[in-house]
Order: sequence, then C-alpha cells, then structure tokens
Amino acid sequence: MKSIPKLIRRFVGIMLLSSMLLIILNFALLCIYTLNQAPNSSPWITAQEVADDLSKNENEYVLSEDTALELQNENVWAIFIDNRTMEVVWQTDHLPETVPMSYTVSDIASLTRGYIDGYPTFTGEAENGLVVLGYPKDSFWKHMWPSWDYNSIVNLPKTVLSVLAINLALIFIIYVIANSKLLKSVKPIVGGIQALSTDEEIHIREKGLLSELAVNINKTSDILQAQSRQLRKRETARTNWIAGVSHDIRTPLSMVMGYAGQLENDMQLSEDNRQKATVIVRQSKRMQNLINDLNLASKLEYNMQPLSPERQNLIAVIRQVVVDFINMNIDEKYTIEWQTDEALTSCTVNVDKDLMKRAVSNLIQNSINHNEQGCHIFVRVKAENNVCIVVVSDDGVGATDEQIEKLNNTPHYMVCDEKTTEQRHGLGLLIVKQIIFAHSGKMLIKHSEYGGFEVDLSLPMTM
Amino acid sequence: MDFYYLKQKRILLVDDKQELLDMVVSILNEDGFQNIKTAKTVSEALTVSETYQPEFAILDVMLPDGNGFDLMERLKKSADYPILFLTARGEDDDKFRGFGLGADDYMVKPFLPKELLFRVNAILRRSYKAENPLVKLHDSEIDFERAEIIKNGEHISLTAKEHDILAALYRNAGRIVTIDALCEAAWGDNPFGYENSLMAHIRRIREKIEANPSQPVSLITMKGLGYKLVVEGK
Repeated sequence: MKSIPKLIRRFVGIMLLSSMLLIILNFALLCIYTLNQAPNSSPWITAQEVADDLSKNENEYVLSEDTALELQNENVWAIFIDNRTMEVVWQTDHLPETVPMSYTVSDIASLTRGYIDGYPTFTGEAENGLVVLGYPKDSFWKHMWPSWDYNSIVNLPKTVLSVLAINLALIFIIYVIANSKLLKSVKPIVGGIQALSTDEEIHIREKGLLSELAVNINKTSDILQAQSRQLRKRETARTNWIAGVSHDIRTPLSMVMGYAGQLENDMQLSEDNRQKATVIVRQSKRMQNLINDLNLASKLEYNMQPLSPERQNLIAVIRQVVVDFINMNIDEKYTIEWQTDEALTSCTVNVDKDLMKRAVSNLIQNSINHNEQGCHIFVRVKAENNVCIVVVSDDGVGATDEQIEKLNNTPHYMVCDEKTTEQRHGLGLLIVKQIIFAHSGKMLIKHSEYGGFEVDLSLPMTM
Repeated sequence: MDFYYLKQKRILLVDDKQELLDMVVSILNEDGFQNIKTAKTVSEALTVSETYQPEFAILDVMLPDGNGFDLMERLKKSADYPILFLTARGEDDDKFRGFGLGADDYMVKPFLPKELLFRVNAILRRSYKAENPLVKLHDSEIDFERAEIIKNGEHISLTAKEHDILAALYRNAGRIVTIDALCEAAWGDNPFGYENSLMAHIRRIREKIEANPSQPVSLITMKGLGYKLVVEGK
C-alpha cells in the first residue's frame, strides 16, 4: 500500500505549487499595473512642474504655452495663491465658478489633503505662493487621512508573511478535509486492485464515493476465481487422464517386456530369434520411459508434482545415477566416464533428490537413444561462483546449430500453445528443463568438446 | 556362491491379472524357484496364506477387493516375512519412500525379468541367512557372523566399520556401490567428509582379503565413483 501516501504527497505538492504560482502571478500583475499608472502621470509631479514653470512677468504671472496646452488637454484648471494675501493672483481660463478666490490656512490644509468643491486638487510650491491644480471631478480618489501606526509599517513584512502562511494553512486544511473522504474510498479500491493481481479472492465494501468501482472489482475477482478454478479443474483432469492412460499401459507392457526378456535369454531359440526378442525388449523399454516421462512432464507442467527439496551433496546424487547406469549393464557400445575433479568432494544444493536423479538419467538416456552406433558419455560436476554445474556430454552424432538453437529457445510441443506440425521429439529434455526450472536453475544445450551433444545444468549452491 | 536354499522358499504371488501371474511364475520358475502359489484377490490371498504359510510375498497394490498395503498388514499379523510390491502407478513412490509401511522393496511395472529376479534374490538373501554364511572371494572367505576373514587358513578379525563396509558391498555384490553409499553404511545418515577415512578402511580391508593388496581382484576401485566386491561363483 505504498500508493496512497504517494498520492497524498503528489496532491499536496500540486496544491502548494499552484498557490505559490498564484501569489507570484498576482504580485507581478499588481506591479505591472502600478508601474503603468505611475510615470509622469502623477498629478503631484504635474503640479510641481506647473509651479516651476510659472514665472512673473512684470506684474503678471505667465505660464509657458506648452504647459498651458497640456493642462488644457487634460481638462485641468490651475490657480496660484499668493503667500502674503492668501488670494488667487493667477488662474487658468475656464476656472469653474465655484472655486473660491481667497483662502484661509484651514482651506489650504483641506485642499492639500482633499478636494475643492469635488475637484481633486494637487499642490506645487512656487517662490511666492502655492500652485493648485484641479483635476476633473471623479478622475482621482484621494485618501484624506494618510497616516499609519509606525509599528504596523515596521512590521509590514512580518504581517504579510504571516497572512500568507495563514492563507496557505487554510487552503491546506480545506484540501485535506475535502480529500480525506475521497482517499478513504480510494484506499480499499487500491487494495482490491493490488489483491487482484496476486490472484486472491477479494470482496471490498460496495459503499462510498467509488462504490461503482468496488462493485466492478468484486465482480472481476469473482470472474478470475471462477476462471482459475475452471483452469485448475481442467489441468487436474488432464493430469489424471495421462496418469490413467499410463497406468493402464503398464500392465500389458509388463507382459510384453517380461516374456520378451525371457525369450531374449532362451538358449533354445536361434540367435536370430533371440535378437528379435532383444529388439522387442529395447522398444518396450523405450515405451516404458515414454510413459514415465509423459506422466512426470504433465505433472511438472501443471505444478502437480510435489517438490521435496532437501540439502543434498549434488556430487553424491549424480554419482549414484552414473553408478546405476553402469550397474544396469547397458549395452557395451556405451561407456560412461566420471570426470568430476577428485578434489571436489562436495557441492551442496537444495534439491529434490529423486527429481534431480531423474533429470540426469534422462540426459544420459538421451545420449544413448540418439546414438544407436554407440558413444562415450562423460559426466562431470563442477563448482563455479556459488553455482553447481552438472555437465553431461557425449562424442556421438550431436546436433546442428539450428537444432540446438531450437532446443534451447522454442517451447516443446507439449507446452506449446500453438498448433504445431513440427517433427516431435521426446519428452526427455522437456522434463530435464522443467525439473531444473522448478529448482531455479538453468539448462544450456550446446556442442560437446568431444564432438557430440552437451547439456549443462546449473543450480544455485546452498551454503 | 550357492543360493539353492533360497530357491526352496515358499512364495506367495498376488495380482488380479492371470496373465501377469503366469508370467511372473514363469520368470521365477526359470530362475529355479519351485514353491509358488498365486492369488487374485485379498480374500483368496488370506485363505492361501493360512495353509501355505509363505516365506516371501509379491503383492500388487491395486486388487479388486482391497489394496496391497492393507493385505500386507493382515499377512504380517500371522507371520513376519519379506514383501515386495509390484505397482502400476509411478506416483506410489511417495508411499514407498523409506518403506515406512514395512515393505522390503517395490517395483514399478513394467519391469524386465532380470530386474525382478535381482530384487527377489536380494531380498531373500537379506532376510534368510544361509546355513553356511561364508562368502567366497578370490583369495579369502568372509564370515559375516563372526566378523572375520579366513585367508590361507588364518582368521583375521574385522573392525565394526570394515564389517559394515563389506556388508554393504556384499549386498550389492558384482555391482558398483558409490562412495557416498558406503560412507552412509559406515557412518550413518550425514556422511559428508568421510571420503578419506573410507579410503583408509578400504586399504585395510584389502590387506585382509586380497593376496596382493596393491593389485586387488576382489575389491575393485571404480575411479571417482565407488567400489565393487567380486564374489566367486556369482
């Protein structure tokens, strides 16, 4: 259940990132907006410029043409109040009639902070008086009491930051509350889907925000369970069928083998007839091997062969196989040479002894079956990098590169899920492969250094 | 080696197929066994055994009115004698593993006559000691009862380990016994790392049984694999 915390982390990350981006964006927009407003358009600056521009010509105050035109364009009026008389001594044309012509000190204070008759006013200091610009009504909004507590200005950065933090916390809390409900209903669904992949039978509560999904998951689980039951049933049937057939063949084959075996040694028969009996024995032996192989292969394929792995000295196990073959007195055409280094006396692996013996027997039998003219068979166990390797090779006819490639890489007809018409080969190697795979080992088929066929079986060593 | 007395043992053969009974009887007859009675069912087998008192039984596992395992238990109640199972089911392996049930050996059908005879003779040899227990080798004789070797009229005693090793070799006389099987026979279940001790014991056994221990003719080394005891007349 690693996905839920991951999901939460991802959501929180996205949320924090988006709030930050929003704040930065807003701040940037505000800056751009105010910057666009400010340059030269500040009426305070204009007022000061007018004051500077106003010059006394004899007894008349005169404004330069440019500045006058500028004021006119913006529909701004201006007056000049003399310091001494407190009276208007100069004015622009079109001065509204409601503008008084003389001022008291309190009037000056008031117009500096605010308005004259609704006209927002701005002042500029000249040599002998005060220039007052009056902008059209509703063109500016003036803050009449522009003063703040000193401390609040000093603490402004702190205040802004804490407000920001409170905002973020609030957003976070809202988010968590809103999502915990969703996550709560997601959690069993995620669990259910994970359980599905492990082929467990599951039933999750069909309630909450995602109940529809839950219903579907339950349904899927039911279908999967039914399917695997069905599959198991079919596999069991197939395994039983093969076991049954091979059982029924064993008794009649006993008779064939038994009597042929007797005839083979019957000295009253002619050499020729005894030879025929030998062929019958050999062929029934092959049938016997085939039955054994078929049964085991089908069980291994459908995991119905119980594996009982134990710590074994692989060298002892393989040595027994080789000795059994020699004791069985196989045809003189075949010799088996034990090539294991005498210094290597033990190679411990965790294997099912009987299956392992079966695998190596199959390899030796394989060499015998494919070399009717006879061959030398070489068996060796070696240890390399914590891996035990059993090498069975021969100096017989061997196989072509193509055949070896095929044996290594294409599935056997018995486990192939496509229709196949290729020339069928025996089950011997398939069983070896199945057994080695069941023990987490590897099987490699290649050319033998003696010119024939070689199979290497690698098994992980147990300490 | 004379196993004549073994051929006289009374054998009970139980299988539900007449053809198989006929065949096994013929194989046994050919090898010299004379006293064989057959039965096709559990009840018949019990009846026959009452009067016949077999000394060895070969039983099929699947019988029409029961199975061979139950039959074995009932047969063994009256007398304890060796039993060999014949089975047509490879998967019975598990049941036989370790022969916890008291079976002496088992064979999966089909089988060759010589395989059957080898096992029957081996079981009988194990179960019924000869009146004359001397085992004849090329240059000496083994007396397992007294744990000694008789060479040139001289009696040389065997140590316990030497006795165990020789006994294991004799049980498989003429066949190779692996180093591991011999170590197990001498040192028990976990016989790792005894290879060198085994070689020392083999050397001492050779000194006792061979005329020329450096060129053995009775106890043969099969390089890397194991040893083989060659018994005269076998």
